Amino acid sequence: MDTDSTHVRLSAIGIVAISLFLALFMRLWFLQGIDRQAFEAASVSNRVRVIHEEGPRGRILDRNGKILVDSETSIVVSLDREPLRKMKESERNTVFVSLADTLQQLGVPTKLSLIEKRFADLRYAPQEYVPIADDVDPSVEIYLMERAERYPGIIVERKAIRSYPYGNLAAHLLGYVGEINEKELVERGGKLPGSESPATTAPSASAPTTTAGTGSAKGSTASDSGARVTDYRLGDSIGKGGVERSYEADLRAVPGERTIEVNAKGDLVDVLSLESPVVGDDIWLTIDIDLQAHAERLLAAKIQDLRGRRDKQNNRLNAPQGSVVIEDPQNGQILAMASYPDYDPSVTVNGISQEQWAAFNDPNSGLPLVNWALQGAYAPGSTFKLYTAFAGYNSGYLNGGTEVVNDPGVYTIENCKGDKCEVRNAGSTPHGTVNMARALTVSSDVYFYKLADKFWNLTDQYGPTPIQDAAAEFGLGSKTEIPLAGENPGRLPTPASRKAAFEARPDLFMTGDWRSGDNINTSIGQGDVLATPLQLVNSYATFANGGTRYQPQIVTKVTRPRDLTLPANDPANYELIRQVEPVVQGTVQIQPDQYGKIYDGLLGVTQSAYGTAAASWQASKTAWPMAGKTGTAQVSKKADTSLFAAWGPAGTGVPAQYAISVVIPESGFGGEVAAPLAFRIMAPLSFGALLPACPTSDQDACAAAAEQAASASGNDVTSGAPD
Amino acid sequence: MQQLRVDRQSPSGFRGRDVSSAWKHIDIVLLVATGLILLFGLVMVYSATRRFPGGTGILLRQALFVVIGIVAMAGVSLVDYRRIADWWQIIYGLSMLVLAGVLSPLGSLGAFGTKGWYAFGPVVFQPVEIAKLGTVLAVAAYLGSAERVDLRRLATALLLFGVPMGLTMLQPDLGSALVFIVVGMGMLVVGGVRVRHLAVLVILGVVAVFGILQSSALDQYQKDRLTAFANPDGVSAKARYNIDQAQTAISSGGLTGYGLGKGPSTRLGYVPAQQTDFIFTVAGEEFGFVGSGLLLILFAIVIWRIWRAAQLAADSMGTLLCIGVMSMFLFHIFENVGMNLGIMPVTGIPLPLVSQGGSAVVASCIALGLVQSVHMHRYS
Repeated sequence: MDTDSTHVRLSAIGIVAISLFLALFMRLWFLQGIDRQAFEAASVSNRVRVIHEEGPRGRILDRNGKILVDSETSIVVSLDREPLRKMKESERNTVFVSLADTLQQLGVPTKLSLIEKRFADLRYAPQEYVPIADDVDPSVEIYLMERAERYPGIIVERKAIRSYPYGNLAAHLLGYVGEINEKELVERGGKLPGSESPATTAPSASAPTTTAGTGSAKGSTASDSGARVTDYRLGDSIGKGGVERSYEADLRAVPGERTIEVNAKGDLVDVLSLESPVVGDDIWLTIDIDLQAHAERLLAAKIQDLRGRRDKQNNRLNAPQGSVVIEDPQNGQILAMASYPDYDPSVTVNGISQEQWAAFNDPNSGLPLVNWALQGAYAPGSTFKLYTAFAGYNSGYLNGGTEVVNDPGVYTIENCKGDKCEVRNAGSTPHGTVNMARALTVSSDVYFYKLADKFWNLTDQYGPTPIQDAAAEFGLGSKTEIPLAGENPGRLPTPASRKAAFEARPDLFMTGDWRSGDNINTSIGQGDVLATPLQLVNSYATFANGGTRYQPQIVTKVTRPRDLTLPANDPANYELIRQVEPVVQGTVQIQPDQYGKIYDGLLGVTQSAYGTAAASWQASKTAWPMAGKTGTAQVSKKADTSLFAAWGPAGTGVPAQYAISVVIPESGFGGEVAAPLAFRIMAPLSFGALLPACPTSDQDACAAAAEQAASASGNDVTSGAPD
Repeated sequence: MQQLRVDRQSPSGFRGRDVSSAWKHIDIVLLVATGLILLFGLVMVYSATRRFPGGTGILLRQALFVVIGIVAMAGVSLVDYRRIADWWQIIYGLSMLVLAGVLSPLGSLGAFGTKGWYAFGPVVFQPVEIAKLGTVLAVAAYLGSAERVDLRRLATALLLFGVPMGLTMLQPDLGSALVFIVVGMGMLVVGGVRVRHLAVLVILGVVAVFGILQSSALDQYQKDRLTAFANPDGVSAKARYNIDQAQTAISSGGLTGYGLGKGPSTRLGYVPAQQTDFIFTVAGEEFGFVGSGLLLILFAIVIWRIWRAAQLAADSMGTLLCIGVMSMFLFHIFENVGMNLGIMPVTGIPLPLVSQGGSAVVASCIALGLVQSVHMHRYS
């Protein structure tokens, strides 16, 4: 062996060795010195999980602090079908049999067939947990969680659910809560978790669905209300309608976050940080639940009594729906809003089933989810005359000695040719010589026909739409902006809108021209005019307070409770977050003498012997006089829509406290159906004899007490018997 | 007093023949570096296994093997390597027999269906570790005794490497097969094989490596692990997982690491096979660049001292023996640390003296004992 050569070769190997070590050192330095942060983040996302936890929503209270919607915790046993599907059928059956037996023994009657049915239930998304037992005892939770390995795919969740102490009362107004859908999530900037299963609403130790956390896994701060709106995950709850939807940002709890460390197997090792959810704020409604209960009860009784009867033209009185709205004219607060038919909001608590949803939307059911008070639009009939009357004065037309009109019961349209030139009063009743007040009191159509005809003939002088303009000032034809979704804007037809509609769909209309007859129809709230019961009450409230049009409000204030176990209405027990102030949307300028004439007419409706609602007011007198207007709107091939809009107390120098509108389609005359119902509702309110609403939990005792109180006071206030 | 002085002086009188005289030439630096690495290794095995239910047992076992290894190292170093080399045919023959035997029903099935172990009750023995040593010894003895390496001797030497390589391929144990190639190359380079023969061998070696990679002898998991390093996106998530977790653990250790027992990946068991093939991640995560760099420096010192022993060796047999051990260590270190760092493909190669596993620790100690023997007996 050549020694020199050996040395060279040894050196070569030495150099190789040095190079290899240098390579290792360089790589080591690259990883630990240069690229560290990226890998450190990977290390954190490896082992740190952030569990999103929804908290209980705020409560919804009535104006006096009575709890209408409460939050309670329900322990739900559910199936996580992903792992169950991967099992062999025999293994799965073993789990199901064992689960059914166990639940049975723990006092939760659960049939094996139910579990199997739910497992195969296609109504739930594949990754959605399928509930098999709601509201179980905490002992069941402990039992199942301790034996989690024996019940793979069985989830025990704690869910904050809604409860409704007053049952169906104010259901439309309150709305309901459901699982957020993808559209709602995207609208709120939420993350769509790709293929991953949705986050559970409340985590359970058995199988929390989690999202990987970021480096600084700190949640949003509690006071940041913006976080409530944005920090949604699939599976979270969200208000789907009514107040629940409109005040979602207040009601929603600030979600909590549990940051946990898991090992390679996914087992929890440590809780790194715990941020509990912060309960949502309480919403105080403008609603007085006692009044609401009273209004709903009488409305339902009235409609149920009407159904099946027939009117004088032998039209069937179907009364498919009805609504009553009571508003405070001094600030726009809605004191009661009843819509019939109603529904039981508790069926929505664990998600509305498809059958239930179909039933709710079946037209034969009367569409109980619809809040007719703001979603229903009806021909307002003679209740519209208030605006026509105002138009007469506001335009100046009636100031020229044209206020007194002879009403023979029939009016012949000027410059009219053909056989449809005569328009009549209801029943062609002649009212003789009438002025404005009298015309309103007796509901002379001829008076307003003439006014509308003149307007149309004198468009040069008064413009094409003096009536519509006046009605618009009272809020017709546009949404009242009540903070509730789905409001119908109604309809206020004009020559321009008629033309546009015709041009858009010439096949649907006979003509695009506006004629005298259209003006005449509009003047008495017929033709194409539509108004919602809410618009009606708000416009009469506007007149009642002297012309200030308020935005209807349903919330008085938002508070943050200090202790949920203490009474909700104790001022020491909450912090005021927000007070809802009245919002003035517009002011109707009415000259005092003109105001007086219209006012006299509306007061006469109930107080004069000739008034259209005089008899019914006499039958159920309120503590103070009321002023208002009946309406009987004709609908082709159906019975008339009965309407009444009024306020009380009426009287000079007495501020109006309550405005009310009652609308029942296919039910008959306004003076015979809607007005009496309004007085029956208003009477105990005016006497201060309103009985407290009964929570469903002690319905019997409460109703008995109410009856006793009623008989003691001598006022038959609970009876819903028809007139 | 007098008696004591005589005693003190006595070793010099027996220079060369007495056992104690060999001690005088022990490589203290190599010994200390070896000891520190063994200690470091125990600490890391502790950290990697403490979360296991039987973690303490694993640690105690490993400590026992370290002690056995040190004793074996001392024993081997005291014996002149030439006396051991006299027995090379028997040692080689026996180690091949044991290596072949593992393929028989006597061998135990290991992970992924490979056969590389003997299990006698609680004692598990990996014959390839002995086979590596036997082969190095055999080739050193065979080539070292020759004046020059002619083709016949080259062919014989290649056969000596080829047999254990083939046997490990049959297990299959790709990493160990590669060790024989690398050790063979190292020893043949230093052993005086002609340059043109070497060139041919290099070409053959490259062809062999590609052949192994392409052959059906490899299971898909092995190919996955091997290609994961070259083509990170094209492999299964499972194959990537090892690599990602190892790099994540090492990198997040940063400059000084999380501290012993505090590394999250280690603590929570995110790195698979962490006490064996991926033990370097413990050093990386818990002791950072400072700690893992120190470990690399200690290994570099070991390699340097072996290389130095090769230079100082009294004869070419000693030189070849040292180069064989050095090549083996170098490949083990580079491949193992390299795969931990994500620059080498993942193969089941332990980190010498550190990875948990009795056979490897004892064999590594014996190998270093042989090096010490070469160093200690260079004047005799």
